[in-house]
Parts: sequence; C-alpha cells; structure tokens
Amino acid sequence: MSEQPLRVGYLPGLSEHEVSWETMSLGSEAQPLRVEMPRLTSEQWDALTTRVRRAAREQLKTLPVTDIIRAIDRAVQRWLDPSDPLRQRADSCMARLTGWDAEMVRQGLNATFKTYRAMQLQRFVAEDLDNPKMLDEFQPRPSGGWARALGPDLLVHVWAGNVPGLPLWSLISGLLVKAGSVGKVARAEPLMAGWFAQTLAEVEPRLKDCIAIVWWPGGEVATEQQVLGLADHVLAYGSDATMADLRTRVPVGTPLQLHGHKLSLGLVSRQALGVREAAQCARLAALDVVRHEQMGCYSPQAFYLERGGRVSPREWCDLLAVELSALQQRYPRPTPDLSQALEVSAWIQSRAWSDETQHTTVLGHEEDDWRVLYTEQARELSPSALLRSVEVMAVDDLHQVPSLIEPRRAWLQTVGVATSPERLLDLAASLGQVGVTRVCALGSMTAPQAGWHHDGRFSLLDLVRIIEVDATALMLSDAFAPYRD
Amino acid sequence: MIHDPADDVLAFMARADADEAAFDALALRLFAHQVEHNAPYRRFCQDRGRLPRTVRSWRDIPAVPIQAFKDLSLSCVPIDQCERVFMTSGTTRGDVRGRHYHPALAVYDASMQRGFQQFFMTEHTQLPMLVLFPTEVMMPHSSLAHYLALALHRFGAQGSEYGIDDQGLRLEAIVHWLQHAQAHGHPVAILGASYSWVHLIDALQARGLSFALPAGSRLLDTGGFKGQSRDIPMREFYGLLSTTFGVPAQACINMYGMTELSTQWYDAGNAELPSIKRGPHWIRWRLIDPITGRDVPPGQEGIVVHCDLANYNAVTTVLTEDVGVAAGEGFKLLGRAQGSQAKGCSMAIDQFLKATQP
Repeated sequence: MSEQPLRVGYLPGLSEHEVSWETMSLGSEAQPLRVEMPRLTSEQWDALTTRVRRAAREQLKTLPVTDIIRAIDRAVQRWLDPSDPLRQRADSCMARLTGWDAEMVRQGLNATFKTYRAMQLQRFVAEDLDNPKMLDEFQPRPSGGWARALGPDLLVHVWAGNVPGLPLWSLISGLLVKAGSVGKVARAEPLMAGWFAQTLAEVEPRLKDCIAIVWWPGGEVATEQQVLGLADHVLAYGSDATMADLRTRVPVGTPLQLHGHKLSLGLVSRQALGVREAAQCARLAALDVVRHEQMGCYSPQAFYLERGGRVSPREWCDLLAVELSALQQRYPRPTPDLSQALEVSAWIQSRAWSDETQHTTVLGHEEDDWRVLYTEQARELSPSALLRSVEVMAVDDLHQVPSLIEPRRAWLQTVGVATSPERLLDLAASLGQVGVTRVCALGSMTAPQAGWHHDGRFSLLDLVRIIEVDATALMLSDAFAPYRD
Repeated sequence: MIHDPADDVLAFMARADADEAAFDALALRLFAHQVEHNAPYRRFCQDRGRLPRTVRSWRDIPAVPIQAFKDLSLSCVPIDQCERVFMTSGTTRGDVRGRHYHPALAVYDASMQRGFQQFFMTEHTQLPMLVLFPTEVMMPHSSLAHYLALALHRFGAQGSEYGIDDQGLRLEAIVHWLQHAQAHGHPVAILGASYSWVHLIDALQARGLSFALPAGSRLLDTGGFKGQSRDIPMREFYGLLSTTFGVPAQACINMYGMTELSTQWYDAGNAELPSIKRGPHWIRWRLIDPITGRDVPPGQEGIVVHCDLANYNAVTTVLTEDVGVAAGEGFKLLGRAQGSQAKGCSMAIDQFLKATQP
C-alpha cells in the first residue's frame, strides 16, 4: 500500500484544488517519501504576495513584539511536546528525508525549538536592539530625537539544505521584525517550514496570512524574477553558484543577504590534551561531527591539534576514533549513495597522495561509519568528504592556524575550541581577523545560541530600516502648536 | 636478459579466449611485477594490506582511483624511458592531467587492433573511414587521437581521411566524402568523439543536409560531450545519428575507453539504451562499493573497476568514477558519479574545487 503524498507549503488565500502539484520522491530509494510540491501560476504569485504584504501591514505591524513572541512560543511549545502528533510525524519524516538516525533527528529538533521559546526570543531581540520597543513605536534616543525599527512588508527567503528546521531561523527573524514572509523551501527538506506556519496560524489567527511557504524549481528564471522582483528584502541560503544566480535576479536597490555554504573546524590546545582532558575533547569533537552529519554550516570538517600536551595529536586521533565508533552504535550513519561513497574514497586518496613526503595515516576500516585522516604536517584547511570524515592535523602552536585557514576566508564560520581561559580571547581575535565569525566550545558547534550573529551579521538589525525623527522636527513643531508663546 | 611482461601480455592476447584461472594467473604475475617496480603503487597496496603473497585473484588486486594518475607517476619503467605518455583531457579537475606511461606501444596497439576488429569491424577487414578527431600530430598526448589514427591506418580502406584539421571541421570535404560514400553503395565507417558528432550534426542541419549511407555502414562515438558541445540525452543523440546519416542505431557503436587503460569496451549498437558493454578476454570488470572496496550484491549499481592486462606498465586495476550495473554478458554504464550534491549547508568538495580552481 502506498502512502498518501505529503503536501508541501502553506499558501494563504489559495485553495488546494486551484494549485497544481508536482509529485516528487524524496529520501532514499529504499524508503522514499513522496511529496507534492506546489507550482503556482504567475497570477497566483501576484495574489499570494499581495495578500502577505497586506497582512503584514494591516495585522503583523500592529501587533506588539511581545505578542508575536508569545505566539511563536505557543507554537514552539506544541512542537516541543513529544506527544503531539504533528511533532511525531515530523520526527519520522525528517529521519526518512535525511536518512539520519531517528534519535539524532529528535534531539536536533528539540535543540532547535528550545532556542525559539519566549525567553530565548526575548534575548534574541535584545541582542540586536537595546530597546525592543523600537519595533513597536518611536522610542526616544539618548542622543536626542526618536527612532523606530521597521521591517520590510515582504521578505522573501530562499532556503537550502536538509538540516531539519533550519528555515525557522530566518522565518522567526522575519516575524520578530514584523515582516510578511514568502519562504521558498529546499527540495532536500521542504516540510518543516510549512508545518510550522500552519501551527502559527492555528495558535494566532492574526498571523495566518502573514506567511506563505512556497516552492519553485531553483533556477526557474521567470518565477525567480517575478517573486524576487516583488520582494522588499531577500534572504538567501545556498551554494556559491545559487548565490551568484540569485544576485543577478534581485533588482538593484532591494537589500539582499546571502548565506553561502561554510567551512567550520575545531581546535584543541595543548592545555586540553592532558590524559583525561583529551578523552573529553575527543568525545565533544565526535559529537560535533556526528550531529547533523556534518551538513550544517557550523559542522567541523577538520581539527587542528597543538603539540606539547600529554596526549599527542596522533594519539588523540585514536581517542576520536573510539568516540566515533561508539557514536556509530548509538546513531548509525545514513547509507551513502555511490557518488558520496566515491567522494569519501577519493578524498582519502587525494589527501594521502597529494604530497608523498607528508605522512598521512588513515583511521577507520571497511566496516566503520567514519574516517579520520591524520596528517603530521598541517596544511591549509579544505573540506572533508563529510559523512563523518574529518582530517586531524598537528601544529606546534595554535597561532599557526589562522594562516592555514585564511585562504578560505570567504567560507569560514564556526571554530569549536578547547583551550585554557587565558588563551581564549587572543585566539578568538586572531581567528576573527582571518574570517571566522563564531568561536564556541567544542561540543557546541551545531547548537548556536539564540541571538547568534549568523555569519557575523545581525539577524534582526540587518532586516530593518531605522526611521528617525530628528529632535529638530519637534523643536520646529513647537512653533506651530496652538499653545505656542 | 630481463623478462619483459609485455611479451606475456602479447602471448595472452593471441589466445582465442581465456578462462578465469588463466586470467588470474597473468593478472597476479603483473600485480607482483607492478608492486615490485612501482614504488607509489607498492605503498598503496601496503596501506591496504594487499600484497602479492596474500592476493589470490584479480578481484583482490587493489584498484587505483583515476585521480592517482594525476597525483603520481605510475610506471614500472623510469618515465624518461617511455616511448609515449598519454594524458587525460583535464576537463574534470582543473589543470592537472592524468598521465599514462607506455614504455612501448606494441601492447596498446595490439590490444586496440584486436578489440577493434572483434567488436567494431566484425566481418570486415577494411572499410573506407572518416575520422572526426584531430590527428596524432595535432594531439600527441591524446590516447584517442592515437586510437583513431591506428584505426584509420590499419583498418581504413582507400579513400579514408580525417574530417578535422587545425581549422576544425572540414565541412566541405566531409559533405563531399559523405555524398561519395552514399553514391558508391559500399559500407563505410565514421569514427569520432561524441562531441565532434554533435558539431557535425549541427553543421549539417544548418545546411539542411542529411544522408543515407549504404547498408552495413557503421558509426563509432566515444567519450561523451565533456562540455565541448551541447549535452544531449543519449536517446536523442543516437536518433540524430540515425536520421542524419541513415545508419540504424544498431550500427552506431559506442566505445568506452579511458586514457588510464590500454583496452577498450564496445557495445553491439545503441538501439536499446543504455547499451551493454563487452570487451576482449584480457580485460575484466567488477562493480564495487568504493568505501569498502567490495563487490556490490548482484543486480546493484556499483562503481566500475577495470582489470586490464594490457596495462602492464602502469597498474592493471583501475577504479573509475563511472556507475555501472551488470547486464547480460557485460555491464551497462549509467553515467558518471556526480560529485555528491551538496545536501546541507556545509561546503562540499565539489563546490570547493570549482571555487578554488583558477
């Protein structure tokens, strides 16, 4: 018996039978998940964007930000409830879609939703705006005058990737600045955004027309030009190639924020390579590798280890191998397809052969779900083959690392570190200098804090315009008051 | 006098056929020879714990990824003593080209000629030929240029010629050749890179020309489009060959060869797609999971590994990037394993290479 395909999207104002649907089979061939993607006509795009824009103006912009936070929190509480049927379906669909271990998916979604609870959202807003009420009305500025932060009426999101729940980040940012959102889902994970929009509409009917979750095949020029042309602001995620394409389709003058694919890494200092500490660091590093299967922009693809600790970098690789083997039992890796498998083997060969003088050791055997490549002579950072493959390189001093990663400046994002307190900020400063935007604890790489500055940008401030009422305007207006002297 | 493994290979080719045991025997001899004389390959085998004393069958010989032909000098003979080096076209990964060193071309040439006779010429010894590819002089490092030159000189009847010179397609001469062939009524052969065919078809279509070559004529294409011409689906490609030249798809043969090998695979026409590839008795294939290196279960897709005994100087056993599935007496090629699509938002190797290449 075949299951009913799942319908993708959230399309306020359009009834399902008016829309044509394209059926697709996602996930693995063994356990496919059939979905129906909406295909809108040019008229439907106009109607949908007009509706969202109007609702943003008439509904969302009139709600105090505290009400919006409360509404999101109510939706999130449902998603955090393990007995909620919606959440249960999401857990199982996400596991099938990604091929990831079900328990890992469940924990990942919990971590995501926990960052969108009311208290975390308040911090999220406070991170960018010292006075969150600026989102509601004009607020006095210390320097004189008044200011208000105004979000766009129509924010278009272009999402990418299969990390479950990732679209919620920008979707919620949009809500907090009271922007109407039209979000294009990625084929790799098209479901969560639509489901979340539906929940929001249920818990707060005033939001029901403020979001649309849509899809079109990436690169479909006419649709892209139409939808992006209607946007007040565009937020896009994806590969360099997608970014380059989109850039040509967004009108000059429409703010465009791009988040390309990223490279992240881990550092372990000699202070963290005592006998007990080294084992702890290996456990944390292995978790960062396994969580999200290295698919996240913040997932580590390489580690640099400092020589001079009790445990040598080479010995640490054995500890990492033990941890990866243990995690393999708990969270089995998704089965790679042939091209992924070929990539892993090609990666190992290319690293092992690229310079015969550098001795490279490969850890991980045929039956292992992971591969660790150890290189005695550290080289420039480059991506691994993912699928739990990492390169570990030894350096004499962690201060050598910035120059080894600087060639990848445009792609750097998170560095998970294990070092002693007195070195932390120095290290962070030199990493920041070469392009890193987030330094966190080893073991926390895949769980950014609420209010983090993704790729070094402001989540909310980048979306708003600040409307200032100059003090002079009030001064002059006094001259025209009925009570003027 | 030192025994030359090339002689063993030539003798093996001269046999009418070979069973698995005979194939194994020579494969293992060559393996021992290559491990002894080729230092990088020896290290590769040591890392895998696969050395002549433990390897019992050609299936256990460690397969070298084609990337290694770019990174290393895989040769048993010092490379400055090799008569010829063939290089890959270098279209896939930047500027670095894979190199295949041939101490002498006797084995390559014998392999090519026997295979070509058996699978392409079949009952003919010679046919008038048109070659849609540059000459060996124009492309001295191209194994395909050498292959086609050999085909033309050894199997080309009077009236055989090149349809390409340093100016590109010799369209006038080609049209004249085709008209002549059509009028004469004797079967002919036209051979070229797949993309050369596309260029010719486009040029002929622009002039509104099509031909009906005599019955028994055959066409050979090889190598795919490699970004050198527009990319067209296989069914459409063979459809165009048939309609433009009047040769049925059964007589349109695709040759599957690689610079890294010395023997070629052929199909018996492309009426049914994808076609089944077969080769002579001195080359064998298997399909593996590249992570474990083991054969995939029967019926499943795997990455194609070739064991080509004519590769006596480099390595016999080569891991390709092509996906295949077993079928009939041979295997079907399902295309190149694409650099895995970036599914997440972390930088993937494929993209990285694109971005960092000059």
